[in-house]
Amino acid sequence: MSELLELAGVTKSFPGVKALQEAQFSLRAGEVHALLGENGAGKSTMIKIVSGVYRPDAGRILVNGQAVQFNNPHEAKSHGVATIYQELSLYPELTVAENIFLGHCPRTRFGLIDWAETHRRAREILESLEIHDMDVTRKVGSMTVGNRQRVEIAKALSQNAKILIMDEPTASLSEADVQRLFEIVRLLRERGVGIIYISHRMEEVFELADRVTVLRDGQYVGTRHVSDVNEAELIQMMVGRTIDQLFPKLDAEIGQPVLEVRDLVRPPLTRGVSFTLRAGEIVGMAGLVGSGRSEVAQVIFGINPPVRGEILIDGKPVHIRNPGEAMKKGIAYVPEDRGSQGLVRAMNVRQNMSLAVLRALARANFIDDKREFSLAREMIERLNIKAYSTEQIVNKLSGGNQQKIVIGKWLAAKPRVLIMDEPTRGIDVGAKAEIHRLMSTLAQQGMAILMISSELPEVLGMSDRVLVMREGRIAAEFPRAQATQEVIASAMMSQTGAAS
Amino acid sequence: MTSVTVNQSNNGSTKRSAGLVRKIVSSQEFILFVSLIALILTVGSINGNYLRPNNLISILQGNAFAAVAALGMCLVIISGNIDISVGSVVGVLAVISGNVVIAGVPFWIAWLVPIVLGALVGALIGFLVAYLRIPSIVVTLGLASIIKGGLILVTSGREISGMPAEFMISQFRPLGIPMPIYFMIVLTIIMAIIMRYTAFGRSIYAVGGNADAARLSGINDRRVVLQVFIINGIFVGIAALLFATQLQIIRATVPANFELLVITAAVVGGVSILGGVGTVVGATLAAILLNAINSSLVFVGISPYWMRAFQGILILVTVLADLLRRRRQGIGL
Amino acid sequence: MAQTPLMLDKNPEQSTGGRLRKLLLSQEVILFIIMVVAIGLLATRSDRFLTQDNLLTQGRLMAEIALVALPMTFIIITGGIDLSVGAIFGLCAIMLGWTWENICLSPIAIKSRGFECAVNMPLEVSIVLAILIGILAGLVNGWFIVKIKVPPLIMTLATLALYRGMAEGISQSRSVRGYPDWFYQLGQGDLFGIPTQIWLIIVFSIISAIWLSRTTFGRSLYAIGNNETGARFSGIAVGRQKMIIYAFSGMMAGIAAWIFVSRVSTTRSDMGSGLELDVIAAVVLGGTSIFGGVGSIVGTLIGVVTIQMLKNGLSLAGVTGDATIIVVGLVLIAAVLINGFIQRRSGAR
Repeated sequence: MSELLELAGVTKSFPGVKALQEAQFSLRAGEVHALLGENGAGKSTMIKIVSGVYRPDAGRILVNGQAVQFNNPHEAKSHGVATIYQELSLYPELTVAENIFLGHCPRTRFGLIDWAETHRRAREILESLEIHDMDVTRKVGSMTVGNRQRVEIAKALSQNAKILIMDEPTASLSEADVQRLFEIVRLLRERGVGIIYISHRMEEVFELADRVTVLRDGQYVGTRHVSDVNEAELIQMMVGRTIDQLFPKLDAEIGQPVLEVRDLVRPPLTRGVSFTLRAGEIVGMAGLVGSGRSEVAQVIFGINPPVRGEILIDGKPVHIRNPGEAMKKGIAYVPEDRGSQGLVRAMNVRQNMSLAVLRALARANFIDDKREFSLAREMIERLNIKAYSTEQIVNKLSGGNQQKIVIGKWLAAKPRVLIMDEPTRGIDVGAKAEIHRLMSTLAQQGMAILMISSELPEVLGMSDRVLVMREGRIAAEFPRAQATQEVIASAMMSQTGAAS
Repeated sequence: MTSVTVNQSNNGSTKRSAGLVRKIVSSQEFILFVSLIALILTVGSINGNYLRPNNLISILQGNAFAAVAALGMCLVIISGNIDISVGSVVGVLAVISGNVVIAGVPFWIAWLVPIVLGALVGALIGFLVAYLRIPSIVVTLGLASIIKGGLILVTSGREISGMPAEFMISQFRPLGIPMPIYFMIVLTIIMAIIMRYTAFGRSIYAVGGNADAARLSGINDRRVVLQVFIINGIFVGIAALLFATQLQIIRATVPANFELLVITAAVVGGVSILGGVGTVVGATLAAILLNAINSSLVFVGISPYWMRAFQGILILVTVLADLLRRRRQGIGL
Repeated sequence: MAQTPLMLDKNPEQSTGGRLRKLLLSQEVILFIIMVVAIGLLATRSDRFLTQDNLLTQGRLMAEIALVALPMTFIIITGGIDLSVGAIFGLCAIMLGWTWENICLSPIAIKSRGFECAVNMPLEVSIVLAILIGILAGLVNGWFIVKIKVPPLIMTLATLALYRGMAEGISQSRSVRGYPDWFYQLGQGDLFGIPTQIWLIIVFSIISAIWLSRTTFGRSLYAIGNNETGARFSGIAVGRQKMIIYAFSGMMAGIAAWIFVSRVSTTRSDMGSGLELDVIAAVVLGGTSIFGGVGSIVGTLIGVVTIQMLKNGLSLAGVTGDATIIVVGLVLIAAVLINGFIQRRSGAR
């Protein structure tokens, strides 16, 4: 069987880093080939080479058996390579049809854009993907993430893509959107498109992929047929060792309620939320994307103060109008989006670590350098952060280390309530386990932790109690013993009318 | 989430036409047009002289050269950049074209000189911005300084006069209407078509909206920025020609606060300073409206010294209206 | 761990040699070298250039730009901009003169022709009023930028027209002269043999430099400039900080206007036209990134001095006065260009 795409001996270095060494990869028509590896393993580098963003230092790339060299994304595109990046690359101010055909709109005889034809062909492509409910004249900016992704796929098809690269396509999708995406992927596979599928979620690999290739530290580890391996083997290939325990939840003594919220309302996505969080307790919060989980957290943290309802700390009502006030009450929030909400990426480790506690570190508003340094050093050690100095710019650290800095920043504030929004999204298996272990320890020391997560195994593994949100309300609550994947998933997804 | 998709499929053709009407009525162009008409009628009812054809023509003509420059500015701002050197460039190009025609060069070559030089200056700015990655506000700030100084150095502030009549293109009046108005209307139409119907026009929005994404989808963002500044340079050149030929003398100074007027017209016309959004028709209407406000002050007996304060309030009001409208539509900033 | 080998790679920033290299390559040092070289070259062209008298006079002349450049550095570091400083400067100058000449305290009224006024407005009160108006003008900018989320460029463009228009409208473009003698001490007098303006520059610069580099307030400005959302999520009162710096900008424009009126002995509504461009040029020349997040007061001061010395040195060397701004433009572009190349070389982006 002929290979659609073949990489052999591909090597790429950046100053100080060998991102990819002698990597190999092959893709057949009508195949879904998963690419696995921890962050920094070289997956992104490999797909950027295939899509023409980087040029390899050495090695060969063959498309349909022909050696090719891509100098820019455009050349890769003309060889039928299309990429759907994590951050979707659409223009919110342009319509669906404009986005699909950007750069290659059908023209009239006079060389002007033929809008009728553009719209007709956009509809045609969407229909070929079994998407019948999308208005092609709508602006993309007002659409859901799932819909935008469908537009991205349609855009790739409009360019007759034969090789489709999907970089963590499900990272921010709701469960329903994930299922639709899978249907589309299967449809494309039947049509003979070769798909390179990158994901952190093991279960997706088993559900969707035909073969899987694992990279580690920029090196090729191996390629397997999915039917020949199990999850443990793949993890071992990825990290080079077995991970004995993924969710090291320790028993902690559960004390008095620390945080209570009563009937919290902040339209549009917080519509009357009540729950209690006790000292030493880890409460998991599950729900689809868009069910209002992060929004509740941000209401409690004062980013969008509530319009109605009560927040109580130690049984006393408090008024929180901005994050500064929330911090004073002992609340900390590790946000969902590390890059834009959690860190100031151009600043160094020390400056990020002290950002939330500057006033406490200062004397009469003058920053005390010594205390700032020692705080940074202490946190680097305590959280096992891999940075060569307190002065390293955080942008150059891996995702896991960046996340640890965000957590360290908030631990420095010595909170009593820690809200963690997707604490381990997009970080590698090793760092993930470390963060889970840390959460357990913190709970044991009496901290109350609210963990928002889209990964059900994480929710099940870490939580003493599980809250399920749906449409801006708490839809269900399960103690640890009763929480199973099935009951949580069904509480997440049941229709409005069917709910009790 | 799901409800969004459902709404979409219900969106039948009846709703679509109602939506179209709403879209037009709430568009910046429509608001500007209505404000312009309302202003003219109001001032006209206070002082009938305001409605005389000659005055109406002068309202259209007064800012025509600024409107032409504003067309270029729209492109620049939509691409996510800014040009604060237009005033200086217009000043220097006007002087050069005047000197060229006085030196005995045929008038039609003297017409082309500022346009070609404008394109070259634009190419220089575009090169510095796109390929050497200097922020456009810095480049044009520096350039404004260089050109302003150069102008004074070369001319020592002397006025130029005695240009041949056939050179004075702004003073031609085919069908009784001054030439700058034709320029303004025709160029606006051309630009509107380019922005709406060509791939180049679309790619400017793409680069201004999300340059990284544009690059990943195969658009050469650097070349687009370069082209935008070249086109802007051409428009600035045309504006300079109209400016140079409107009076019998060319003063060797930069038209005061010209860049401010041009940027104001673009922004009031609905171009988002954040890039990625806007149309050129609005800019032309805004330029006319600004001039209409200016001239109406005299007719209603307000000291013209208050003119700039009105201009400031106008910018504020339009920007606020635009922000509120976007917030309602949920596009956000 | 997977990333350990990468992290243990050579770390140029940690060694003292690396730190020295980084320091030498900073915009401030590069600019300082450019400044010294330029002054050296100019000194050979005119023997009146490097004289004590000339240097002190130059210090006097650059006060307005220097004082307004201090808050502008703060603002640009947060990723904002204030184009209205020149207009606020003009408005404050006009209000200083206009309130002094036209307001009557007893009976309280605005004077008209033939009006008998028992108690005139004291000039001291007019000065305070002018500076308060500057603060108010800055607060208006800040309020719209923070609360309504109008982009700073647009907001201050609008108020540039508005404030200048108010200055023109209120004064009807008439100037005010004839201030009492004590008033000129600030703009034309000396203290310990050094022009008063230089003392003011020194005092305000030290305050601003410490404020920016040593305090929590200053640190939070850098955080806002690099990532406003991140700063807000870290509990920093972003809105309040911004209001403060725009108000500070208005205040300094007011103080600068006071000094300027005192120096030139008159008020006119077109005072400070284009001041914003000179100020922004000095700040950007001083290494403050127009995108925010990077910058320093020392850099800004070097920027101000460089521009002033270039203008002065060239005009002493026989170049026509206004033409010296060519060099300012060239130096501005060149400095940013060189800095960009070096940053890219050292991989700091």
